[in-house]
Amino acid sequence: MLGMYDAAEQEKHESLKSTACFLTDYSVALLTCGTTTIRIEKNVERIAQAYGMHVEITILPLHIMLTLWDADRTHSYANSQKIKGGGLNFYLITQLSRLSWEILSKQMPLDQSRQEFQRLLAKPRLNKWLVLLLVGLANASFCHLFQGDWASMAIVFIATIDGFYLKNKLHGDWHWDIRITTLISAFAAAAISCAGFVFHIGDTPDVALATSVLFLVPGIPFINSVSDLIHGHYICFLSRCIHATVLTICLSLGLCLALLIMNVSL
Amino acid sequence: MLHLTLSILEDGLFAAIAAIGFGSISNIPFKAFSGCALLAAIGHATRYFLMTSLDWNIIPAAFIGALCIGLLSIPASLIWKCPAECLSSPALLPMIPGMYAYRAVQALLKCLEHTGESAFQHYFYVLNFNLLYCVIIIVMMVIGIMAPIFLFSNLSFKATKA
Repeated sequence: MLGMYDAAEQEKHESLKSTACFLTDYSVALLTCGTTTIRIEKNVERIAQAYGMHVEITILPLHIMLTLWDADRTHSYANSQKIKGGGLNFYLITQLSRLSWEILSKQMPLDQSRQEFQRLLAKPRLNKWLVLLLVGLANASFCHLFQGDWASMAIVFIATIDGFYLKNKLHGDWHWDIRITTLISAFAAAAISCAGFVFHIGDTPDVALATSVLFLVPGIPFINSVSDLIHGHYICFLSRCIHATVLTICLSLGLCLALLIMNVSL
Repeated sequence: MLHLTLSILEDGLFAAIAAIGFGSISNIPFKAFSGCALLAAIGHATRYFLMTSLDWNIIPAAFIGALCIGLLSIPASLIWKCPAECLSSPALLPMIPGMYAYRAVQALLKCLEHTGESAFQHYFYVLNFNLLYCVIIIVMMVIGIMAPIFLFSNLSFKATKA
């Protein structure tokens, strides 16, 4: 009799454990790709609900801690995990949110959910040459929005392509620190866009210089941090806000350094 | 009138290109490109109209622009089948006051460079002005895109439901 009880207990424990591990991996993936805290909570609670369990999740800047309870709250399993490095990825946010609904509506078994999750994680990002081109065009049109002329737009396009390529190379391929990378990329982009001043190209060289580093402004972290602020996740708000501010300071330093070396005043 | 309409359309077009480019760094879903572009164009053109034709300050103009993006992002999230903030955050990127942000840091460096009282005070003013504008614009804009998501929360979190 006692042995049978133990077996049932063991089975319950195993199911709690495997579900908790899946939920931790899932929420770590969401936090890594830059999801707002409110969405992480909603998605994880939805999956727990699909498996008939209760989840309590704590979201820290670099860690996820969660405790999973069975339906009648007699057994629990706690787990925590640190996030790994990785860039913002809205595609993954969309797909992982969709997965959470599918798990609920189709009552997907756990091993199938995990398979689907691994398949989504392995999806490639947008082609990096396409992104390079789009970023160049984006910053050039930004220059236009600030009343820059066509010559300035061309300068900004070239400066942005170079700066962004450098950022990809240093941070993406060589895994340099993101702050140093931002500083160097800003320096390169600003130094190249000083061409407007040095060779007297176009009538708005100041606009070209000022907009050349704007592709490095961490807009999404700023937006996410305020979203966390609104939802009362003050620790995540502070950490995202500080991260974004540090990057902004780095890009300003890069720009100032370029101005100093090229002997141009803005 | 025609000139105004044309310049508003032009503003929207370039804002759309900017949103797609900056959004692609964050790997927005390829299918959502058109949605982001449309929302960004509407938001930025609204801000442009309010600032040039009605002479509004950038803060309320940016708030109204973001509110437009936020309101439209909810029906858009149902059409493009992706979370509302995956459309509205990239659409907000062209309105992020990046220029204010780094001008504040530049003014800070100038403060350290100039020790004379009047020059220091001038750059301290520049620092505070840019910092205040930057912070308030970002906060107001995010409130603008979040308020509709809050109000229609049962709708917006279900966008990815199959």
